[in-house]
Amino acid sequence: MSNSASNSVLDSASLPESQRRIALVDVNSFFASCERVFDPSLEGKPVVVLSNNDGCVVALSKEAKALGVKMGIPWFKISAWAPSVGLVAKSSNYELYGDLSSRVMSILHEFSANVEVYSVDEAFLELKGTPEQLVAIGYEIKEAIQNKLGLPVCVGIGRSKTQAKLANSGAKKSAGLGGVCNLDTFTPEQIDHIMTALPVDNIWGIARRLSKRLNSIGIHTIKDLRDADPVRIKKKFGVVVQRSLYELRGIDCIKLEGERLVKNQVMYSRSFATPVTTRKQMEEVLAVYAQRVSKRLRKQGSVAGALTCFAGTSRFANEPFHSPYRNAVFSVPTNDPVEILKAASSVLLNCVEDGRKYVRAGIMLHDVSPKSSHQYLDLFTPIHESRQLGEVLDTVMEKHGAFSIGLGAAGFKSPRHWEMKREMLSLRATTRWDELATVHAR
Amino acid sequence: MAQPRTELVVRPLSGESLPAILAASTAVQAGFPSPAQDYFDGRVDLNTHLIKDVNSTFIVRVAGDSMKNAGISDGDEVIVDRALTPRDGDVVVAVLDGELTLKRLYIRSEHVLLKAENPRFPDISVDTLSELTIWGVVTRCLHHV
Repeated sequence: MSNSASNSVLDSASLPESQRRIALVDVNSFFASCERVFDPSLEGKPVVVLSNNDGCVVALSKEAKALGVKMGIPWFKISAWAPSVGLVAKSSNYELYGDLSSRVMSILHEFSANVEVYSVDEAFLELKGTPEQLVAIGYEIKEAIQNKLGLPVCVGIGRSKTQAKLANSGAKKSAGLGGVCNLDTFTPEQIDHIMTALPVDNIWGIARRLSKRLNSIGIHTIKDLRDADPVRIKKKFGVVVQRSLYELRGIDCIKLEGERLVKNQVMYSRSFATPVTTRKQMEEVLAVYAQRVSKRLRKQGSVAGALTCFAGTSRFANEPFHSPYRNAVFSVPTNDPVEILKAASSVLLNCVEDGRKYVRAGIMLHDVSPKSSHQYLDLFTPIHESRQLGEVLDTVMEKHGAFSIGLGAAGFKSPRHWEMKREMLSLRATTRWDELATVHAR
Repeated sequence: MAQPRTELVVRPLSGESLPAILAASTAVQAGFPSPAQDYFDGRVDLNTHLIKDVNSTFIVRVAGDSMKNAGISDGDEVIVDRALTPRDGDVVVAVLDGELTLKRLYIRSEHVLLKAENPRFPDISVDTLSELTIWGVVTRCLHHV
């Protein structure tokens, strides 16, 4: 599998820039699919995953969707009904999801030099090839992730991120496509037909409120927006919507990589101008990233329950590719930069090897929820150890008051799980030796 | 902090001679440097040697003694590579009744068998491999001695 994968990458290197396409790969019902990896009895059953503290539904399998279960519904409202329809609930097992996510991303790096980890379960990849070659690569990706991890993915391919997103939802909805959809394989008439069938709020980045305003000037479908006058759109709705319009026409305006906020994840990731080659430098990078990512959290009044931290060398340098991904779970959801930095450094730094040339790094926060939903937070807010983290922490101190980095013990992974109600937690089978999955010999 | 200058003589690796001889040409002030440090690429790492593909490999723990005659006992950990194509004679993790189950796989022209390595457990026979869900292929057993 990896041989054929690297062949596709090599083949594509010789192809002209005009054949550059963007693929969006995402795992179907990611959390529920992760739960099924070590518990095949959940295959085909309706499964929901609950937020920290078993509060509400944060993820659901397509079978659970079919039962009418809605995202965000408090678990206590459906827990009595669940057994009667065979609905299975699981506490969120971010360690398991994080590890499987990092495996997915690592596999995707075999297919493209340019991968943007967009969220815990989706990534944009730059690919080159003829439409038929790209469909074949799409199936290769799907097969690789299915074979190696047992996770189902869909692949959407287009000329821009917005098109890739659209193609991806097509791949999900049309069973006949087998999970891979390349917009280039359709005729212009077929694409018109697809875009006419989809309301404008199906476009990546167009919120429902915005779509109402678009409707008011006669833009109802995706095709309406694509064919609208870009100047008028910019005047009325700003550059973001104009960008979506161009992207629908196949003009690639939203570059790979960068920071953004999606669903309940917040991420900060960058490629470096010059490679980072020492652990010390990487620690500085993480300090800055931790600050930026926590700033985003605080700005939206949220806290995060877990994080993924990663770094990577160039896939195409002459040295072996090295791309550690590590995960940590906070005992108490936090938006504190010191806490985030501690978690990120302690899991990632010992995987960072002096002398390697890292070209990118990032911090992704998962299980993001409003701070106000964690009333118990103040009681258990960890008091930080004082460490020489340089100017960064001075800034932090100014911002949060000296108390935020006062002395005290605060293991982010300390055994505080009792604080959280996680009664339906599956095994952390890939990250804890004492929680390995069981294989029966009988 | 003056670094002691060192002179290295490297000889080809053979059964009789040490792979390398190292002599410090200047006095060492604080402690003698390990003669191995210039050749030391890190300790033997089991991950490197026992795992071919880190992405597709998982470790699971055995419950039960039906594979005892294959040297796999209750409580052992086994290394499973999910990417490998199951072949005749492999010890595999198969999904049976929604559970991960350890069996020896036999692919015969007339049928496919999942056998326990213990006569007390019955064989499972199907017509073709596609009727089975093979979760992964066992590559190593970490047997507790």
